[in-house]
Amino acid sequence: MSRIFGIDLGTTNSLIAAMEDGAPRVIAVGGSNRALLPSVVAIAPDGAITVGERAIEMEPHLTVERDGRVSAVGFASGEYGAVIRSVKRYMGLGGDEIAPEDRARYTFADLSGPVVRFQIGTRVFTPSQISAEILRALKDGAERALRAAGKEEKVERVVITVPAYFNDGQRQATKDAGRLAGLEVVRLVNEPTAASLAYGLNKRAAGNVAVFDFGGGTFDISILSIKEGIFEVLATNGDTHLGGDDIDRVIVDWLLAELPDARKLDRHVWNSARMAAENAKKRLTDVAETPVVVELPGHSIRKHLTRDALDQMAEPFLARTLKRCELAIADAKLTPAGIDAVVLVGGSTRMPLVRRRVAAMFHKEPLCLIDPDQIVALGAAVQASVLMGMQGDMLLLDVVPLSLGIETMGGVMERLIHRNTTIPTSVGEGFTTAVDNQTHVDIHVLQGERELAKDCRSLARFKLGPIQPQPAGVPRIEVTFLIDANGILNVNARDERTGREHSVDVKPSYGLTDDEIERMLEEAIDLGEQDLEERLLISYRNDAEQILGALRKQLGEFGALVDGSERARMDEVVERLEAARTGTDRELIAKLVEELNEVTTPFAKRIMDAAIKLALEKKSVEELS
Amino acid sequence: MIECPSCGRRQEPLLTCADCGSPLAAPLGCFAALGLPRKLAIDLGALERRYHELSRKIHPDRFASSAAPVRDASLRATATLTRSYRTLRDPVARGLYWLELNGEKLAENNKRVPPDLAELVFEVQEQLAEMHDAPADSDAARELAAQVVARRGQLQTAMDANVAELERNFVKCDQRPDEKMLTLQLKPILSSIAYLRTLIRDVDRAVENSKAA
Repeated sequence: MSRIFGIDLGTTNSLIAAMEDGAPRVIAVGGSNRALLPSVVAIAPDGAITVGERAIEMEPHLTVERDGRVSAVGFASGEYGAVIRSVKRYMGLGGDEIAPEDRARYTFADLSGPVVRFQIGTRVFTPSQISAEILRALKDGAERALRAAGKEEKVERVVITVPAYFNDGQRQATKDAGRLAGLEVVRLVNEPTAASLAYGLNKRAAGNVAVFDFGGGTFDISILSIKEGIFEVLATNGDTHLGGDDIDRVIVDWLLAELPDARKLDRHVWNSARMAAENAKKRLTDVAETPVVVELPGHSIRKHLTRDALDQMAEPFLARTLKRCELAIADAKLTPAGIDAVVLVGGSTRMPLVRRRVAAMFHKEPLCLIDPDQIVALGAAVQASVLMGMQGDMLLLDVVPLSLGIETMGGVMERLIHRNTTIPTSVGEGFTTAVDNQTHVDIHVLQGERELAKDCRSLARFKLGPIQPQPAGVPRIEVTFLIDANGILNVNARDERTGREHSVDVKPSYGLTDDEIERMLEEAIDLGEQDLEERLLISYRNDAEQILGALRKQLGEFGALVDGSERARMDEVVERLEAARTGTDRELIAKLVEELNEVTTPFAKRIMDAAIKLALEKKSVEELS
Repeated sequence: MIECPSCGRRQEPLLTCADCGSPLAAPLGCFAALGLPRKLAIDLGALERRYHELSRKIHPDRFASSAAPVRDASLRATATLTRSYRTLRDPVARGLYWLELNGEKLAENNKRVPPDLAELVFEVQEQLAEMHDAPADSDAARELAAQVVARRGQLQTAMDANVAELERNFVKCDQRPDEKMLTLQLKPILSSIAYLRTLIRDVDRAVENSKAA
């Protein structure tokens, strides 16, 4: 069995890590010690895909040229290719679920379907497909780094981390991304839990630990009890659309406040402002104030941002995180005083305001012993080694973040599995018919904490049956709802009387069906082959163009060196090649290029001789003078 | 009888195979899953240690590279173990489960107000109704929320007293396992607790909503 790697598929950056000599280490996928791969994917008009730093360069933005002019660079919109960042914010969502501020960023194919689809040129991509590109880049980068270190090893089996508060659909979408990248996703692990593993690995830590995970796009708080190698999550809470991105957006609004709306929404302007905002926010971790500059064509925006002003902008978001902390502490049946340590995770916890407020909330200084950008990936590598049976007694007992239930009479949500229940867990529920000879029972599965079905997230619908026609209330069908160790729901049903297993055709309300994934996998393979075909064709066409162009030039200059019959033969081949060049038969193009080469070889030789003669003559003239 | 997916041995339903120790996907009751005698009084520390020890043996993380049927058995066995542990860990859930084992259950809609708590209950319900009608984010709403939070403490005290009484009754039940009357005596206590639980939950929701608004 191959080694299992740990992957942190982050909103802003992604990392891959593995155990080396008993300690988790991140792998430098970007070469020269660079472990962070920006979760940015560029898709060019011709479909070429670029991930990471180089994709950021292709993002639409404004740049100051050498002569001082400001020009727009990068792919501007879906028509010409696109650069997608923070794709995690779109994972597992239906078109109607995207936050308004996330909707303006890209061009979407259809917002009414069960899956968001980015429209890029003539192609559409689901968030899982985009994420698969990030995973593939991590896999390739890790394999390359390992090879450079003298190790031939394939990355095939992985643990991928997800925000603890991800719902079923978001988890499924992450698993789908792994599958589309050709990886076996052995386990999904919650990010704060993974961080606790990295934190507790060598310390033989014990007690109650709170993990405060504030990243680029998501927020999680998890409270764990660590005891003799058992990491038991007591409660978790969070918000999957709350992170540093949101703070950046407020800074951008402030930066661009004086611009007319149309200019603000210009993707070049907006992105340049976003970069300036992010950099200013980072600088304010170390300094009390900083200039912020955005160069626009014709004029520039120059403002000053103080840490106090930034704190005021960030405060509403921080207040939301602290509210979530209160709820989690209550669910864990603890008080802040009962928590022994607070661990900080995620880049946004570098902000001094965050540290101060977290310290006040938990009455203790938060710990930041491990790089907050790396701790989740390191923890994923620890969990990977647990799964390989290499961590002795260490075991993770995680929970389901959201309650799971079914819609009952009157549109009420009946909870079957409560939030913060340890997983894996299952619950059986009996169903029967309401009218005589009913052959199917419809079941609507929901996830969420609200009382009414319409306020909860629809997870899936399925039909039980066919049921033998009987009087109402007689059939007894036991349905088992099982949440696996990934936090993903599995359903099966059994007829109590006949003992027969019912097939349950679960239709996910959101996300991709198995068939769709299969089709995408096939398409990816087909596309791969098609892409190869296309690339070859293009390269042969280029060859043809080159030889035809060269010949035209030579005939113009040295036409006198060709006699009539030779010229006729050449023209005949040129004519055929010109015709073939516009077609798609690359074999034919190759053959004719070869033929033309042969026919023109004597001519080329004569040109060469003539050139040498000319050069010699020139030389002798120079010598004479 | 059930067949072990690892070694193929047929055996009585257990959490793990008697021969090879692999997890079995057997339908088990809560006491059987944890390998405990059917007793109501439980030492929670010992229960937790047992749960952790069994989890280490059967959890899906231990079988990530095993054959599919073994992985599946591990998943189901762990789900059974977790459910059983959560049921027995909580005295109220344990009491309700005990009733079920003895063919008893509380009335479907537990609407009967516990007599000794009638006054407190009515006051809280009145406040909840007023809160519901008060305009969101008004001073009146905040004032009511503060009053309700104060009452919540009283409800919790009543709840704790009921749970303590429940646990005293557990000991009695264990001492004289043949007296059905003792089991029946659990019912009114559990009924009071269930009522209080619902009410406390309503209070928490109302307060939470008033904060959110």
